[in-house]
Amino acid sequence: MTTQTAVTARADRRLIRPHGRSQRFVLVQVTAPPATHERDRLPVNLAFVLDRSGSMSGEKIELAKRTISAALEHLDGRDRFSIVVYDDVVDLVVESTPGSAEARRNAMARLDAIDARGSTNLSEGWLRGAEQVASHIAPDGVNRCLVLTDGLANKGMTDPIELAKHSAELRTRGVSTTTFGVGADFDEAMLQGMADAGGGHFYFVRDAATTRDHITSEVGETLEIVARDVELEVVAAEDVRVEAISPQPTRPRGSRTVVGLGDLVAGQVLDVVLRVTFPYGEIGRETGVIIGLTDRDGVFAAGGRALAIDARLTWAYADDAANDGQARDTEVDRAVATQFAARARQEAVRLNRAGDYTNARRVLDATGRRIRAYAGRDPALRGMVSELESEGDTFAAPMAPLALKEAHFASANLARTRDSQGRSRTRRT
Amino acid sequence: MPQANLPRYSLTELADLARVTPRTVRYYMAQGLVPSPGQSGPGAKYDDTHLGRLRVIRKLQREHLPLAEIRQRLAGLDDATIAGLAEESTDTPDPGDSALDYIRRVLGSSRGGSNPVVASPVPGRLSTPPAPPARLMSVQALSAEPIEAMRTVPAFGAPHPPTPAPAQVPTERSQWERISLAPDIELHVRRPLPRPLAKRVDRLVSIARDLLEEDPT
Repeated sequence: MTTQTAVTARADRRLIRPHGRSQRFVLVQVTAPPATHERDRLPVNLAFVLDRSGSMSGEKIELAKRTISAALEHLDGRDRFSIVVYDDVVDLVVESTPGSAEARRNAMARLDAIDARGSTNLSEGWLRGAEQVASHIAPDGVNRCLVLTDGLANKGMTDPIELAKHSAELRTRGVSTTTFGVGADFDEAMLQGMADAGGGHFYFVRDAATTRDHITSEVGETLEIVARDVELEVVAAEDVRVEAISPQPTRPRGSRTVVGLGDLVAGQVLDVVLRVTFPYGEIGRETGVIIGLTDRDGVFAAGGRALAIDARLTWAYADDAANDGQARDTEVDRAVATQFAARARQEAVRLNRAGDYTNARRVLDATGRRIRAYAGRDPALRGMVSELESEGDTFAAPMAPLALKEAHFASANLARTRDSQGRSRTRRT
Repeated sequence: MPQANLPRYSLTELADLARVTPRTVRYYMAQGLVPSPGQSGPGAKYDDTHLGRLRVIRKLQREHLPLAEIRQRLAGLDDATIAGLAEESTDTPDPGDSALDYIRRVLGSSRGGSNPVVASPVPGRLSTPPAPPARLMSVQALSAEPIEAMRTVPAFGAPHPPTPAPAQVPTERSQWERISLAPDIELHVRRPLPRPLAKRVDRLVSIARDLLEEDPT
């Protein structure tokens, strides 16, 4: 690891009210270590799961096949891959095999023979792919199932909650899931839910022609992972409540709070926003949190460096006048507003899709008002407010499916510190 | 994820995290209730063992035990036990089965029993009969543990939900799940719920959280 700070933390405000159950926000910025030499990269173990239902026929499936072929070119003998295609039945096109040149050539020939037909048993196709990954799990590598679909699951399991639950269970057992939704007909909440719970990523492929870009960048990212299962661990006094408002899963570990950040690629920068709720306290007393970073392989803590990656924050109880007059950290306010605006947009997408236009607008307006309350003169925050206001008109009328998906994907990426194409943000050194 | 128990807390931080005063910490050290730090003086650093002991002492004090008895009780316990008492660990348990076991169980139950083995590298049908309706899969496996993304909190003072027993015949049973909507507000849901109702509850949670999201000023 370099001298670059792996984790920094800052609070929106540093004073808290003695009788207020104050809530304060913390922006934690995590930076992954830079790339190791190519020959030292982690091996990857991938399953490509391809929807071959009738709606994929024509250009879509041809592009997807070519894309998988192209992605295979990035693998070598250290890696493993398998290919599963599904409609109402599931075919194992290539059983899990090391990524040798010969295996890759054979796989491409088999892929070539696939065409589209039938309905969509996404759950079984996905689980079959995951089974291939799991049957040759690489303990030191990246084990991931990549699922590409263009439609609604209509066979097998179709309940998004159920699918997310299985995805989470697989993740705790070392197999992650990434999803790609092509076109206008898939269920973005379901695919996003599977990816979030599964420790992978969700990509919206607006135009089949860009399938290749998305799959290539996801496979590229798996090859650049430098830290696996990264977690923020927050230590606070027992009566202080800590939770993430950014979309990373939060859970208690004893009296601590653990935020799961998943796998990080070389130089990746990730913003995590925490909400801290304080108990009552006497004026003048100070209280704080200590934020540490851990990962499965000890990349962040190697050689007893855990101390170096602790970030500490303290708050002081003060009277109302001091609280009212205190300074704010605008950068934290912006990060907080970004998260709440993203949530509001995703809720508005859901409501608009369900035909509840009035509430779709109301959700955006309410969030805009909340942000305005602390925006002050900050142009970025004021910009967010006016964006939410102007989007209210759009969401108050029926929207085209593609527009809804775009709105969802854009806000989901913002909340996860990813760019407009769903790629991780990195700080190259 | 193991993280070495490193000395990371200053005296002030330790006292704050344990909700006692620095003076109390020094007093407990003098009384032998808490070990002294490796290095003394203003730069002294304390670790999780110290924090755990202080938290257990506080807990026992809330039960109105006199210090002498607390000392006696602590004397018989090693650091790991004390850490366990202090943390009352609610960490995700080791799932106990592998990803492969899990997938085969789900696939097996969703197709009504048989567990086809993947053998042939040649492209071929894995499953000739189409899968039966979705909900056949193990209800127990689904409901025994709350979904992580729901950010459920463990019931305070109540026994923790049982670890899902792997690879068992699914039996219908229900369990209350506590979903935290905001600080101080919870929703209690008995799982499993019929799917349409479960979906409405999810919606309710999301709307309620939005509604309760406090103005961050």
